[in-house]
Amino acid sequence: MNGHVKNMHFQQFMESVATLLSLLLLMTVDSTKNVAASKNQHCGDDLQQTLKLTRLVHKESGDLIKTYKATQGEMSELFCKVSVNNIPDPNISGLEPPEKIASIYTHLQAFFPHFKRVYEQQIDLQSPQSPLLKDLTRLSIRSKSLAGLINKFYQRLFPNLPVPEPAGGPTTLPPAQNVFQQKVYGCVVLKTYKEFMSNVSKELRNLKSKVCRKRI
Amino acid sequence: MVSAGVLQLWALAGLAAVLVAEGDYHLVIAPQSPVVEIGTNFTATCMIINTTEVTADDLFWKLSETTVPKEQYMKISRSALNVTVAIRNENSEWLYCTCEKQSHYFFLNKGKFIHGIWLRKGYRPEKPKNLSCIAVQEGTQISPSISCQWEAVGPQTEAVPTNYTLFVKKRTNDKIYSASKRGPTNSIQVDLEVFPHFDSLDIWVVAQNDLGKEESEHLIKYAQYFVKTNPPSDVEVISEAAFPTSLVVNWSHPIIKVYVDLIYQIRFRQLRSHIWTYVPLEDTSRYIESFRLQDLQPYTDYVTQVRCKCSVKDYGYWSDWSKNAIKRTPEDKPKSKPDLWKITTEGGINKRQIEFICKDPELSNGIIRRFNITIQIKKDKSKNGSWESIQVNRSVPDFNRIQEEVTRLKKIDLADEQSVYVIVTAINSVGASPWKVLIFDPKRNEPPVEKMEVRSHKGQLWLEWKPPNRTVSEYVVEWVSGGEIDWQRENGNSNGTVIKGDIKPFVCYNVSVYPIYSGRIGKPVHQQAYVEQGAPLQGPTVNLSGDPGRNSAVLVWEEIPLTARRGFITNYTIHWKNATGICVKTVPANTTSYTLTSLSHNTKYDIWINVSTVAGSYKGPNHSFTTLKYAPGEIEAIVVGASLGFLFIVLMTMLLCFYKKDVIKENFWPQIPNPGESTIGNWSPDYPLKAEAPRENCLSGISVLNVDMCDAKCVFDEDKASLPLKKDKYLSEEHSSGIGGSSCMSSPRQSVSDSDEGGDMADTTASTIQYSSVVAASSGYKGQNPSSLPQQSIFSRSESTQPLLDCEENQDTLVQETSRQCFQRQPCFTPNVGNESTTNGDGFNPLEMEQQEVLDFCPLEEDTEQTAPTECQSDEWISAPVSSYMPQLGGYRPQ
Repeated sequence: MNGHVKNMHFQQFMESVATLLSLLLLMTVDSTKNVAASKNQHCGDDLQQTLKLTRLVHKESGDLIKTYKATQGEMSELFCKVSVNNIPDPNISGLEPPEKIASIYTHLQAFFPHFKRVYEQQIDLQSPQSPLLKDLTRLSIRSKSLAGLINKFYQRLFPNLPVPEPAGGPTTLPPAQNVFQQKVYGCVVLKTYKEFMSNVSKELRNLKSKVCRKRI
Repeated sequence: MVSAGVLQLWALAGLAAVLVAEGDYHLVIAPQSPVVEIGTNFTATCMIINTTEVTADDLFWKLSETTVPKEQYMKISRSALNVTVAIRNENSEWLYCTCEKQSHYFFLNKGKFIHGIWLRKGYRPEKPKNLSCIAVQEGTQISPSISCQWEAVGPQTEAVPTNYTLFVKKRTNDKIYSASKRGPTNSIQVDLEVFPHFDSLDIWVVAQNDLGKEESEHLIKYAQYFVKTNPPSDVEVISEAAFPTSLVVNWSHPIIKVYVDLIYQIRFRQLRSHIWTYVPLEDTSRYIESFRLQDLQPYTDYVTQVRCKCSVKDYGYWSDWSKNAIKRTPEDKPKSKPDLWKITTEGGINKRQIEFICKDPELSNGIIRRFNITIQIKKDKSKNGSWESIQVNRSVPDFNRIQEEVTRLKKIDLADEQSVYVIVTAINSVGASPWKVLIFDPKRNEPPVEKMEVRSHKGQLWLEWKPPNRTVSEYVVEWVSGGEIDWQRENGNSNGTVIKGDIKPFVCYNVSVYPIYSGRIGKPVHQQAYVEQGAPLQGPTVNLSGDPGRNSAVLVWEEIPLTARRGFITNYTIHWKNATGICVKTVPANTTSYTLTSLSHNTKYDIWINVSTVAGSYKGPNHSFTTLKYAPGEIEAIVVGASLGFLFIVLMTMLLCFYKKDVIKENFWPQIPNPGESTIGNWSPDYPLKAEAPRENCLSGISVLNVDMCDAKCVFDEDKASLPLKKDKYLSEEHSSGIGGSSCMSSPRQSVSDSDEGGDMADTTASTIQYSSVVAASSGYKGQNPSSLPQQSIFSRSESTQPLLDCEENQDTLVQETSRQCFQRQPCFTPNVGNESTTNGDGFNPLEMEQQEVLDFCPLEEDTEQTAPTECQSDEWISAPVSSYMPQLGGYRPQ
């Protein structure tokens, strides 16, 4: 009798504990879900803004190429068809989203010195009021904003990963060039950058579906 | 507190050291150039340096020109003195530390014993509120400059201005852009080089001055939040003939999507309307460049506008609306009936003329090309059933006009009892409208509405009526002014409306309400109304009806024209003015004449009339007139009255003369016996006159007196001396008096009078008395003959031209003196007859004699004297007959 009673008490105690644990588990899951939802919201917003800015930069780089060609005189089409070494690769490397995002970021960083070089070269070739110079400046600023956005996005998505750095060390700029080479170089840089932006845009669209949804 | 005091002392020490190095001052104030907050207390310290001439007890403070009370001082040491002043006003001012000391050194170095500081007063800045920023489109992109504004809070002073700095931080790379501006201001623009699309911005503003610093709330938003683009460009509206109720709106994005993803909003209205219809936002909140408007009215001009904003919810500002894009929808066949109505005018006895007029259908859906009309008159089969087409030449409709064009369709003559049935349809280029039927049947006597009221409210005419007992299909509200007619239709269930036409203020409208019973026109009810009343434009011209009277005038005036009234006439105020004042009389509006009464005669009056409405009055022109001096007929009445009076007097005189002719005759033409007929002629030769006359005289007249006076001798004795003078007097008396006018005639008159009074006696004894009188009068008459003047001794006895007998003259010559004297004295002496015993023997009183002479020779007293002696005499004569007449009779008889 007593043993049965003791069993009964123990069983009731265990049931209470189980109920409590279940409740705690539910609360934990719910809070995690809320956090995930909140993070997902930020993820979506950040990625959306990044994607929009990428498209903008892509569009502006295309406009810039037109402006560039228009300001380079005859044979401007030819300039853009010549290949030039030491230009950043427009393709995005990496297999996983963090790697891809890091690749985007490092590539962006790699283009900035080239932009600066092209701007410096075109200062000598254009008048100070040339729209090309303004557009180059604008593209440079936008690209830095894009880089900043991607960096913030990366840090928010992957707070425990280190900030990516350019893989191959400091960007290697071409040696001194003549005017033709400068014109060719500028066009190739812009063309490559535009292609890169196109790739970034595609990758961000993919990441949107992968990164932000996966974390929900 | 202690540490603060120590710090202050250290600061003073440092400052003193600096000043010592710079100059030779003996007083120094800390702090130097302070900025003080208004509404707080400020404490300064004055320190004595490099001298022992003065101590802190000698110091005092001045704020501008006012010495600070000692109560606000606090002595810190022998050489330092604090002062605390309350900063109340905004004006910056000087605070001085100085001293007074009677010493040579102080007197010679007074400039070293004063020091002042400039107190700059201000307010602590407050936190800017409600920060908002905007970035507008420039060209094809958003401007890199962002403008922010905020609500500036708190006051500022010129001495301590507040600087505002706007900060914009790009959160992607933490780069901060800023711009500053000195206050007072509440907006700043900052240049961001390139507008940071899709970047997150942190914007805030800092207000800072010498008294502090305050930072606004941070505005952290994506850059799109601040974007305001241009309105959509190239807005175009397209109509399609197949869709008469639809229009397609096309536009271009003001900015490409990569910069700003836009949504749109469309609104449209009819050209004549001012009310916009908004397309639901859910239909257009997309990045679109075209939209089809539906359910529009055919053949109607529509104005369309489009605007845009950032697609993100609650982000961005709506752009301005695009410019008006106007397009007309295609034509469609009329969807409503033409608005058929009539104008009725009297066309003679038992006849009327009806003109049918028509407005285009409300939903004409195009240009009406013609109206088809058929008129069916009862009892006139010739006009029944045939359709007539009336072409109208409408120009392109002006959609700005409010009043529809009225088409006059047909005019017919109708007898009073005839009814007419009219059908009209309107036709445009697409098709015909439904029929409109109107029945004019006076015999039916359809009931009118009841209690129709028209009132003006907010520039419109509002109508109310009580519907008749029968079911009304619709009402026609008609208003007519100056020959212009317009009308509108109202639903049969309504009991009031507002006139929607172009109702002008100050114009009188004759408003009528017709109930329509299944096309049959009921009896109308009319009322006049103004939507707004004003003061009349002219005053009535007043005139006089006829000529003014002596105390009244009839004024008449005409009603002022309807166009000049500008309102219902409430009254006329008549003013009339003369030199003494002005009078006013108000008469009702339906009066056009008035009679002024109680006017002064022979007075000029100015009159004018003010005509009044509820909104004011207008003074009519002046008119002047002068009242008459005499009323009409007054002069004639006076003349007639005077004439009548004169005539009356004349008549009365004539009557008097007629009836009293004997008396007059006797008075004016006393009957003098004709000596020719006298019998004396018969006897004069036979009787000696001289012997008889005195005796006869004495016997006849003075027979009684003969006792005393008839003695000629006594008379001669008495008057011998004065006789010539008396004779002269007689003569003058006779000249001055007429016949019977002399006092000397009193005796003859008395004789006549006596004979009148004693008529019977006169009748019986006429000859005797007259004779006797003639004898007595002979003494006075003689003097009347001028020819007798030289003959003083001869007295003519009569004024008659009748020749006197010689014997009479002689006799008169003798009798004259005696008889006269006797007759005059007789009354006076008569009493002596009775008083014989009391008189002296002569019987003569000299005093009485004198009086008698005065009576004789004073013609002025003659009248008065004449009466008394006459009375006296008459008394004598009344009493005398017994004594004198009888002897006379006795004296006559012998003749």
